[in-house]
Amino acid sequence: MSQGTRHGLVRLVAGFAIWSIAFIVLYAAQALGCAYGWGAWHRPVLIVIYLFALAPLIWLSTRPRPDGTDAILPTAARWANRAALLASVLVFLPVTFASLCA
Amino acid sequence: MSEYPSPIRLHKQLDAIWRTPPGLARLSSVNHTILGKRFMVLALVFFAIGGLLSMLIRAQLATPNSAFLGPEIYNQVFTMHGTVMMFLFAIPMFEGFAIYMLPKLLGARDLAFPRLTAYGFWCYLFGGSILIVAMLVGLAPNGGWFMYTPLSSRPYTPGINADVWLLGITFVEISAVTAAVELFVTILKMRAPGMALHRMPLFAWYMLVTAGMMIIGFPPLILGSILLELERAFDLPFFDPTRGGDPLLWQHLFWLFGHPEVYIIFLPAAGALSTIIPVFAQRPILGYRAIIAAIVAMAFLSFGLWVHHMFTVGIPHLALAFFSAASALVAIPTAVQIFAWIGTLASGRPRWDIPMLYIAGFFIVFVIGGLTGVMLAMVPFNTQAHDSYFVVAHLHYVLVGGFVFPMLAAIYHWLPHVSGRQSLYRLSVPAFWLILIGFNLTFFLMHLTGLMGMPRRISTYPSNWGWDWLNLLSSVGSFVLTIGFALVLADLVLQFRFGARFRRDPWQAGTLEWATATPPPTYNFASLPRIETRADQLHPGEIGPMLAGGGGYLGFARNGAQETLAVDIATGAVEHLIALPRRSYLPLWTAMATASFFLALLFKLYWLAPLGALATIALFLVWPVGLGAKVDRGPVDIGRGEAVPHDVEVPGNVTILANRTALVMDGTLFASLLFGGLFLLVVAPNWQRVGPLDLPIWLGILAALASGAGAGCTYVAGRVNRFGGSAYLLLLAAAIAQAMATILFVALMIAIPEPTAHAQRAVVFTGLGYAALHCALAALLASHGLWRMIMGYVSARRQTGLVLAWLWNGYALGVAILVLGLAWLLGNSGAGA
Repeated sequence: MSQGTRHGLVRLVAGFAIWSIAFIVLYAAQALGCAYGWGAWHRPVLIVIYLFALAPLIWLSTRPRPDGTDAILPTAARWANRAALLASVLVFLPVTFASLCA
Repeated sequence: MSEYPSPIRLHKQLDAIWRTPPGLARLSSVNHTILGKRFMVLALVFFAIGGLLSMLIRAQLATPNSAFLGPEIYNQVFTMHGTVMMFLFAIPMFEGFAIYMLPKLLGARDLAFPRLTAYGFWCYLFGGSILIVAMLVGLAPNGGWFMYTPLSSRPYTPGINADVWLLGITFVEISAVTAAVELFVTILKMRAPGMALHRMPLFAWYMLVTAGMMIIGFPPLILGSILLELERAFDLPFFDPTRGGDPLLWQHLFWLFGHPEVYIIFLPAAGALSTIIPVFAQRPILGYRAIIAAIVAMAFLSFGLWVHHMFTVGIPHLALAFFSAASALVAIPTAVQIFAWIGTLASGRPRWDIPMLYIAGFFIVFVIGGLTGVMLAMVPFNTQAHDSYFVVAHLHYVLVGGFVFPMLAAIYHWLPHVSGRQSLYRLSVPAFWLILIGFNLTFFLMHLTGLMGMPRRISTYPSNWGWDWLNLLSSVGSFVLTIGFALVLADLVLQFRFGARFRRDPWQAGTLEWATATPPPTYNFASLPRIETRADQLHPGEIGPMLAGGGGYLGFARNGAQETLAVDIATGAVEHLIALPRRSYLPLWTAMATASFFLALLFKLYWLAPLGALATIALFLVWPVGLGAKVDRGPVDIGRGEAVPHDVEVPGNVTILANRTALVMDGTLFASLLFGGLFLLVVAPNWQRVGPLDLPIWLGILAALASGAGAGCTYVAGRVNRFGGSAYLLLLAAAIAQAMATILFVALMIAIPEPTAHAQRAVVFTGLGYAALHCALAALLASHGLWRMIMGYVSARRQTGLVLAWLWNGYALGVAILVLGLAWLLGNSGAGA
């Protein structure tokens, strides 16, 4: 199996795998911050996690455009990763303004 | 062509190997075509039962102050309606369809683990029967299909009604779990040579993603059911807030499964649509790549919305915002698929036939359901509509629109493949209109009753609240709907009896299943095709005769073996030859032993349950007897001038992949347990005054060391074996070490004072039990590897037994460490408080 094809399969789920991990970490950090009273540090911690999650997604979404018939999977992966980036920006954006514990 | 036998002779040779004899021997069948049909027929029987229950519900609600059913019977009826439709109809129906269809669509002769398919079917039959029998004797579950605690806890449901649900559904879920692993592995490994991933038909992509979702989605429900049954049977307080538990934990675990479940049901139906629509549009599907990306997006996003079922329980705004945004966002990948289908039809030359009627019905009904879904994703609206009939209307629009309409399209499209006959059409069209009109009359009006404030699950209502005429019309609509389904049933029977026969591919479809004879032979293809292009743009009418004549791979019968091929996951290059196990009664016996375990728990014969579990394990250990090879045979001829090794001589074979997949599933269940423990620690009430849990640390350290030694021994055993050395002693040492770890974990469980006193102790107790069980399994797998080695089934090239031993021993070590970490964390939770 060519490395390119195998990478295509991994990349197909990579973006949303990162989205899932970020979702779990943010949801856990939100709950922990409320339970253990992180106070003024709570929102900055969540924002840092948010930005930290966006970085690899931006990288994945800006990979060079693949060519040829073997590019079907890499192209689908590119679109899936861009969707994951969009989902992350929108779904996690409330960490910047929403009420954290009430 | 003279080098090939005649198609008739080849058929007779292969059929003699693959066929299931008549009479009682049918019970030994492991053939995917037979089992797929059994799954679907049984699912339709349960659909009829669920439909009858819905008639009772609508009869009760047709008029105000009705005394047709009492509240208790009504509670059982609506609970069983939801339970039957979700767990006994929808999931098994698509499983059966996938079991029947996938090998044919992929160009294989059967699924990866035929005996597992049969075992799954028997578990489905027995588990479903437990629920139906309980209903017939008036002991059906009565707390709603989602079994919320504390209503379903022992103080409020003291009888066995809730146990019937927890144990019966868990038993049925075994079939879902086995199907998930089997379908996942089959799609990845058992395609026709040359069918690279980017050439797979879209239905296979949909089922690959669905199987992946089932692997991650089902364990939280199974864990939740285990925990609730442990609470009900042994008073371990996971959901009791007075002892550190939390009813919300059940809701989290249930909906962690429950919401992805909606997409698990929808995606196979969408896969069927993506296969049928291009056939009737007479052009290839539009947006193949976009659809793949959309399926992946839907699959992941669907795991991030479960809390929208819990918007009203009191959750901080930030969490509400996460789940609300994700709930709205999931509409986008759904819309991508809808537009791809509409675009395919718009840019093609659509021809109208019965499947297309149901596809049109799907568009109307499902889009309405999707739009009300976006409404419910918005927190303010959700808060108003929560637990009202608006939600009932929404979920029926989504599930009937997203599953039943596509299913009916699929039945009319593929039934000729099953029956070998075409539809008569006399009843098909009136049946469709009755279903469409009846459905919308029934459920559209429920949006209004919901908005007018009618709550779900009430058994009756007063006559002065303005709901009377809406409910009466809904009930009339439901009977129209039922007449429509009855006509479909009659239509199908008539098709089997009087439909015109045809030769191949009556719809001029482009997928491989139409290259088989119809009805399909037991072995699917007399020889396996080589795929050089997208596998949804083939010409089955031309490929079929060539394959029947033995012109593809494996176009011969050899040594009475059920042979098929496995390929590289991504490229589809031929990798190895698989000799599938023949028919056997073992799956039936094993399922009966499993049934004895569940029935013993149900009837509280707790002394008998371990015997049932041991009998099940013992029978599973008999399964591999006689399978495998005692010599290295090297590459063997597969036709077309190519030769590949047997599966036992390949490190990436289906058995190893299936075990890796099973471990991911098991790991998800374990992660759910860890989540449960941490959730209770952080969120649940009554943890402030709980004291530290003093456990003998040295026992835990010894247990981890023993498990580590076992894992290390199996790892070294694999390496030693690969270089030609003897691994007997290493495997023996691994088995002994893991057995010691098991004993030590059990000793730790015994050392916990009063596990029923608080959730802290109950979680640690259960975690240690999970670790003990997995160390015991690791010991068993190491012993199994040793036994296979002694019997001569292991060599430097035939290393499957040792790889499995390492996988399960390594997993046991990971579990041991994490469980001890959880015990330490929870055990000290009260110290500083």
